[in-house]
Amino acid sequence: MNSIIKTIRTERIKLKRSPVWLAFFALPIISAFFGTFNYLNNLELLKSEWYSLWSQHSLFLCYFFMPALIGTYCSYLWRLEHTRHNWNSFLTAPVPIFALYLGKLVQAAIMIVLSNIWIFLLFYLCGRLSGIQSAFPVAALEWFVCGVIGGIVICCLQLLMSLVIRSFAVPIGIGLVGGIGGLLATSKGWGLNYPYSLYSMGMRANKPQMELDLMTFGIHAMGYIIVFIVLSVFYLHEHEMAAG
Amino acid sequence: MKTLKMEFYKIKRRKIGLTMCALMAVQFLWLIWAFRNPSESERLQGWLGTLYSMPLINSIMMPTIMAVLASRLADVEHKGNTYKQLETLRTASSLFHAKVFCGLIFIVLMFVAQFTFLILFGHYLRYEGQPDIGYYLRYLLLSLICTFALYLLQLALSMLFFNQMVPLVVGLCGSMLGLILMYLYNWNFRFLFPWGGYISTMFVGADWDQNTRIMTYYYMETTENGFLGHGFIVLWMILFYVVGRILFTRREV
Repeated sequence: MNSIIKTIRTERIKLKRSPVWLAFFALPIISAFFGTFNYLNNLELLKSEWYSLWSQHSLFLCYFFMPALIGTYCSYLWRLEHTRHNWNSFLTAPVPIFALYLGKLVQAAIMIVLSNIWIFLLFYLCGRLSGIQSAFPVAALEWFVCGVIGGIVICCLQLLMSLVIRSFAVPIGIGLVGGIGGLLATSKGWGLNYPYSLYSMGMRANKPQMELDLMTFGIHAMGYIIVFIVLSVFYLHEHEMAAG
Repeated sequence: MKTLKMEFYKIKRRKIGLTMCALMAVQFLWLIWAFRNPSESERLQGWLGTLYSMPLINSIMMPTIMAVLASRLADVEHKGNTYKQLETLRTASSLFHAKVFCGLIFIVLMFVAQFTFLILFGHYLRYEGQPDIGYYLRYLLLSLICTFALYLLQLALSMLFFNQMVPLVVGLCGSMLGLILMYLYNWNFRFLFPWGGYISTMFVGADWDQNTRIMTYYYMETTENGFLGHGFIVLWMILFYVVGRILFTRREV
């Protein structure tokens, strides 16, 4: 446990003063601005107040851009090791490899939590500024929690990709493609079988009234998380990480 | 020419071509999924419908694909810390031009592949009549210019920033802006954003009939705004080339 806390602290130091959070700050603003604009322009069609506003806020962000954005962050986390011979010092640190990996994952998960807080704060502010007087939906808490869980699934997958693929950009392209694929998978009803869909499903992107079996969702998410963590740690253990 | 040849040596086995092929394959799969079972009315206007849909798909995907391409080409120098050495052997300007041409070759190949796919796919779906080659070539040219402008922007960012997160995030934001601008169809100033080029130069419009649920496509006349849109994509291309070159050649390595 002590070594895990140490690696989390170390990762935080590595990210200090890095502007990586800016993207998580900027993209939801664009999405919220456009979503609210679209909502206000279609008030005669969108009558479900908070639910309608959420459908406009979340659609593009959750399907297309969050997977790629998470991919950017995960790529950045591994890029720190892929460059300047850092693998040597990273892998010889006196802590278990699982703890090293977890340090990265926790940083990515923290970013997911923070960006989700930001997304929902923007949602609340835009709702009030748009003149929605009714109470903020309690269901949003569930969307938030499920969104974070779905986001962590994507984090685990993207961390694995960025670990195996040494390029910074390629896993991000895969993230974008994965997000688009998620749109197709969800529309076909295969969302739970496709890890990239879990974030948008959890957030109820574009479908705020969608019924989601929380137990099934949780089991799938946990399954993906365990599989991707095991694969990543196995890769770190077994594969020779050439520093360069 | 030598520097350009060296670029291809540098990217040997870096699978940039494979990455681009994969990203384009996803675009093709998206098209196949979206248009796989056309109704009779869709088949009648299939060729027009394709020209309407493609700028929208390009708006979403191309900014990020260009960010990936530019980052892959520039990152090889960042990782190897080779700028100092290269600039003692060649001028910074020739290195910049080599990267520009190398990327341009990829872009041309990608759009030729896309163009071929669209024609073959249309025939496979038995779209009515023949594609209007003049308009299809116009689409190809405009898409090439828009994409090349975005590539120049991304290349400049990727070469200037060691942290590749910056250009990649710009690419993602560009994709999102492109998508958003697509929905602001009443807003006439979409050309003010380089990512709005695909939409502002569209020459096929559509009317949606809510009762029959049929979309009717038509060629739009080029308005004053349309001319501005066309002018602006060229302007963006020149601007990104000039500014990118100046910033790259005058920076301290």
